[in-house]
Amino acid sequence: MASDRSRRGVPRRPLAIGRRGFAVLAIGLAAVAALAVLAPPLRALLPQRGGLAIVRAFFAAMFHPALRYESAVPQGTPPLLLEAMAAARRTLVFASAAMSLALAGGFVLGFLGSSAWWSDELAAVPRGRLRRALGPAVWTATRFLIVGMRSVHELLWAVIFLAAFGLNTASAVAAIAIPYAGTLAKVFSEMIDEAPRDAAAALRTAGAGPAQVFCFGLLPRALPDMCAYAFYRFECAIRSSAVLGFFGFPTLGYSISTAFENLHYAEVWTYLDALALLIVGVEVWSSALRRRFVA
Amino acid sequence: MTPPMAELHRARPRSRLVRWSLVALLALAVWSWTSGDIEVGDLLQARRLENLRSFLRDDVQPFPLRGRPFSFAELLAWAGRLLADRGARGALQTLSISVLAICLAAAGALVLAPFASRNLAARRPFAFGAAPEPARGAAERLRDRGWTVLTASTRAFLVFLRAIPEYIWAFLLLAMLGPSAWPAVLALAIHNSGILGKLAAETVENLEPAPLRSLWWLGGRRTQIAVFAVAPLAMTRFLLYFFYRWETCVREATVLGLLGVVSLGYWIQDARARHFYDEMLFFVVLGAAIVLAGDLVSAAARAFLRRAT
Repeated sequence: MASDRSRRGVPRRPLAIGRRGFAVLAIGLAAVAALAVLAPPLRALLPQRGGLAIVRAFFAAMFHPALRYESAVPQGTPPLLLEAMAAARRTLVFASAAMSLALAGGFVLGFLGSSAWWSDELAAVPRGRLRRALGPAVWTATRFLIVGMRSVHELLWAVIFLAAFGLNTASAVAAIAIPYAGTLAKVFSEMIDEAPRDAAAALRTAGAGPAQVFCFGLLPRALPDMCAYAFYRFECAIRSSAVLGFFGFPTLGYSISTAFENLHYAEVWTYLDALALLIVGVEVWSSALRRRFVA
Repeated sequence: MTPPMAELHRARPRSRLVRWSLVALLALAVWSWTSGDIEVGDLLQARRLENLRSFLRDDVQPFPLRGRPFSFAELLAWAGRLLADRGARGALQTLSISVLAICLAAAGALVLAPFASRNLAARRPFAFGAAPEPARGAAERLRDRGWTVLTASTRAFLVFLRAIPEYIWAFLLLAMLGPSAWPAVLALAIHNSGILGKLAAETVENLEPAPLRSLWWLGGRRTQIAVFAVAPLAMTRFLLYFFYRWETCVREATVLGLLGVVSLGYWIQDARARHFYDEMLFFVVLGAAIVLAGDLVSAAARAFLRRAT
């Protein structure tokens, strides 16, 4: 059978296992190595004393979130539902402020980091010497910048800013905006590079300049995907903004962690539901939009 | 502009939804900056700037270099000490947490996904998409109903797993199990099995149904088809998703340490609490390095797999 196949010119596989088998094998070995490194005691998988009661109380509260505070609160505290709405509003505010910064940054860096913007392929006339010399340097620098921004998690940016400035809400916005701008830039540049070049080539043969080709030939082909992705990142930004609350910023995460520490699980669910409503709302909006322009 | 051009311009596809969405998004951005929740002015106060100045001048300078001329050898020695002391161990632990978590997540997803794919978990597998055979008689209607309940409840369970953020899972597991590596591993595993399970189910639903349907008509049993036909066909795509989610796991494994689980984040939080900002920054950079390493490994693995048949 094997000789039959090779006679017909079908190359025999050099390895008994294929690429996927190799990948699965590597993953398995990595898992064994990870277990060896962590050596987590199996005993620690058993709930500690009172542990199960916490989990039971937590999930029992899932179906009846609190409508008012579970314990006495100081005079003048707004009702729980108003407080949850205010925290949700602040979560949304931080997320949209961060996204507005990240979009601007991601747009500029995405252009500078795309190879289409620098390649000669789109230029009708040969580019100037200065630009040709500068191009690769700017492209490389932008790529490094993008990687640096992306590689540090937004919570770690927040920790750095906390140390540098102290607790300030503008630094929370910056903490989300920096890694998000990096991620948007990376994805935008890939989308620009992978966009169909037909319109751009037609414009170029008609004598359009590089900027014209880029703005009217290439960009419109990439724009729908870019919008869809930006919306998806907006959802992520809401989640990140909520999580930043764990570090004392006044978003939903702050309310969640406070309620959790006070063992007020029904309140935790109120805040979790507020977060879920926020995210589902954006998701419905974005999927309606996506159906409209990503055909 | 010539009249036909004007005609074309007027006849271009327009959508009120897109238009109003743009207006709403702009309004949202303006409102977010003007709502007063973001204290930009406060950031520029003298006190804050003084804080920043001392942070940059003193705090982030590696300790042995403070008030002394810069020496590269001293810097390297300092970094080496930190690395040997807990950095390397923390980085290795972070990577291990992410690997173990994603493997458990994949195992969970592989168990759940078959029950969530509406083409496999059906009375007639892989008739999905083609004209489904109408149920004949009450017994078949009941069986149809049963399969629908099974897929819908599995999907709801997957939504539940991924809807609760990994931080909440970690909080909960930490309270339940006490401090060890397990809360971080399990929190990431639970959240990601929800995501991977959904992606795997979608992969199975997007498979070309004709060859699988013919296996059914040839007398293959459901489990046989699932194990010997569906799994191999869906595997490449699943592995791509696996590596993509692993990248996220590396990021989150670092950060989960902030909640008190032993990973790099734990040492970042520890250094912050002791105001050793030079060490804190070192661990942050180390974390960025392993995230970068993870991204590179994952990109290489995905490129390797894309060429798999």
